[in-house]
Amino acid sequence: MAKYIFKRILHAIFTLLIVITIVFALLRQMPIEGYFNNIDKLTDAQVHAGLTRLGLTRPLPIQIWNYLVQVFHGDLGVSNKFRDGYSIAKIIAGKAPISIKLGLISLVVSLIVGMSMGIMMARSTRTKWKLWDKFGTVFIVIIQAVPSAVYHLLIQLYGSSLLGVSMLFKEEQLMTWILPIFSLSIGNIAYYAMWLRRYMVDEANKDYIRLARAKGVPSGRISRQHVFRNAVVPLVQYLPNSILLTIVGSLYVESLYSIPGMGGLLVQVIKLQDNTMVLALVLIYSAISVLGLLLGDLAMGLADPRISFVKKEGAR
Amino acid sequence: MTKHTEPLLSVRDLNFKFNLRGQVLHALRDISLDVYPGESLAIVGESGSGKSVFVKCLMGLNDMNGFVESGSIEYDGKDLTLLKTDADWKSIRGSKIAMVLQDPMTSLNPLKTIGWQIEEAVTLHQGLKGAEAKKAVCNILEEVGISDPERRAKQYPHEFSGGMRQRVVIAIAMACRPEILICDEPTTALDVTIQAQILGLIKDMQKKYNLTTIYITHDLGVVANVADRIAVMYAGEIVEVGTSDEVFYDPRHPYTWALLSSLPQLGVKGEPLYSIEGTPPNLFYEVKGDAFAPRNPKALKIDYVKRPPMFAVTATHSARTWLIDPRAPKVDPPEHILVLRERGKDLVAKAAAEGMISTGAAMHVSEAEMTGDAAGMSVSETLQPVGTEASAPGMQQPGEAGASVSGTQQSGESKMSAPHTDGDKEVTARG
Repeated sequence: MAKYIFKRILHAIFTLLIVITIVFALLRQMPIEGYFNNIDKLTDAQVHAGLTRLGLTRPLPIQIWNYLVQVFHGDLGVSNKFRDGYSIAKIIAGKAPISIKLGLISLVVSLIVGMSMGIMMARSTRTKWKLWDKFGTVFIVIIQAVPSAVYHLLIQLYGSSLLGVSMLFKEEQLMTWILPIFSLSIGNIAYYAMWLRRYMVDEANKDYIRLARAKGVPSGRISRQHVFRNAVVPLVQYLPNSILLTIVGSLYVESLYSIPGMGGLLVQVIKLQDNTMVLALVLIYSAISVLGLLLGDLAMGLADPRISFVKKEGAR
Repeated sequence: MTKHTEPLLSVRDLNFKFNLRGQVLHALRDISLDVYPGESLAIVGESGSGKSVFVKCLMGLNDMNGFVESGSIEYDGKDLTLLKTDADWKSIRGSKIAMVLQDPMTSLNPLKTIGWQIEEAVTLHQGLKGAEAKKAVCNILEEVGISDPERRAKQYPHEFSGGMRQRVVIAIAMACRPEILICDEPTTALDVTIQAQILGLIKDMQKKYNLTTIYITHDLGVVANVADRIAVMYAGEIVEVGTSDEVFYDPRHPYTWALLSSLPQLGVKGEPLYSIEGTPPNLFYEVKGDAFAPRNPKALKIDYVKRPPMFAVTATHSARTWLIDPRAPKVDPPEHILVLRERGKDLVAKAAAEGMISTGAAMHVSEAEMTGDAAGMSVSETLQPVGTEASAPGMQQPGEAGASVSGTQQSGESKMSAPHTDGDKEVTARG
């Protein structure tokens, strides 16, 4: 197990190195304006001096190496357009907490609501009218089919008048947290409900459930101990990744409620051609994804005894 | 046999239907069947004949869209057709009737240890907990032939082979301490060598716990091996029911004839196997007359018009065909069946001569196939006349041929190829 994790972390680091190299090389193909805040006012000599100061006049492999060494020491560099001269780490430290807070709350909400909904839908497929299943399916289809911008707007418009709160987010007023969290959760609620229902219905039709019924296990116990437990396994793999991605923040919801979070930061700095910040954010996001995949695989291994991280001994 | 004892479970005129996409499927049509204590009953029939639906009725395990339209299932002082909810079935499922499913690879929960799954049954039906339950689990595992039970109980199903998993499934069934054990094609998914072991195990358990067993299968070899009585199902009805000997050696219903004729063991090497033409009727529509008539080359006119009732042949043997009606014309069964009939007579005579009562010995048609022992020669005997019939039509009455050949000049020959390649020589030799 430990050996497997170690191996996977090495793989992850290697993946990140490749990502950095590619993105760095690509960004160097962009106009050099990305490294200056005020290139129009600078003379050629000043530009050259600036590039030399950033180490960008040296051969590309050396530049990449230097950047890697810098990152390895925990220094993400300095923003030059988004906020001139500010340390990128500081910028992120100012924006991340609010996104993480909202993300975590919405995650808990969507897990609880989405999973209970999935369970209710799955259980109702065994009843005559399948009411819950039908309602749930309508909800899921609407959420999946309607562009999210539409229902986010509707939630904001009607929600704020219904609750009698401001349309904009203020960290001190807890009431203003409700609508963004609801918006952030609703897509995931549909997602978890859909997949949990699907896996539970799948499991409920398996032979071992028939055997469990034949051996006289009460239906409540079958749902909990056999169906739900086994249906969660395929979901577990994607859970860490969606947790991490939720924390990164949502572009649309954050701009709608003007939340000063991480959402949309990457798009913003790409537009501004703030090359050092683009590089730093891509690095963070890819680290999060790689970590998510690793955690997902480990969680899967914990949930399912058939998955083993060590080589099989061969014999049965 | 247990002919005169009271039936343990008694099904009367059971009609079971499914609602499917706005249509109604008539899955079981007027099924009446008694199950006697301690016997082993085999229900045979092709896929879709309603075997599984029938046994699921006994445990209330059919899907939600199925319902009993009429009829009754008397068991344990109750009418099982009146039980609706899982709570109603509590006293039956597991505690009275347990089940072994077809595919051991899928019938165990892959995420729970074997021990956990057996313990679930032990706790539910024997009321044991903790260390006592663990001990009971180990005992049961040992009983079904799994060595080192303490270690094995902690393992997951994927660490067991197919045959071992089926043993575990049987252990779960036994842990329930049932009165009736239903085996739904218990060996279909296993390879041939394991099949015999599993059947042996079920037989042992039957003896040890005085179980009544109901086998569902379409493998007549399994039937021959295990069954005291046989019920043949076709298109949702029981077309013939009788003791093993009666159904194997004196079948009356044309469908049973066709079914037995398609036994590979009765085929001739180099010739296509007998197969039944056509397809079973669509049970979304009410079947008119005899359900098998459209596929029966020798069907009578009345077969298309009026549904035959169950005619009794003997006290234990009855069949749903007009052929048994005294007014019916005499229709000869196909050659294969005549051969079987002769073999049956021979065996009865032999058994009488040797003063031993053997239902089992007569039944080893298929086992002989597998093992090639002395009984294997009798397989080739049954093949003989059919082979000569086919290569030299109109030579001899197959029945006579079978009789004259049996036990004479067979011993040295390779059993399968003999009738065909040496057909001419054989005929002349015999003539």
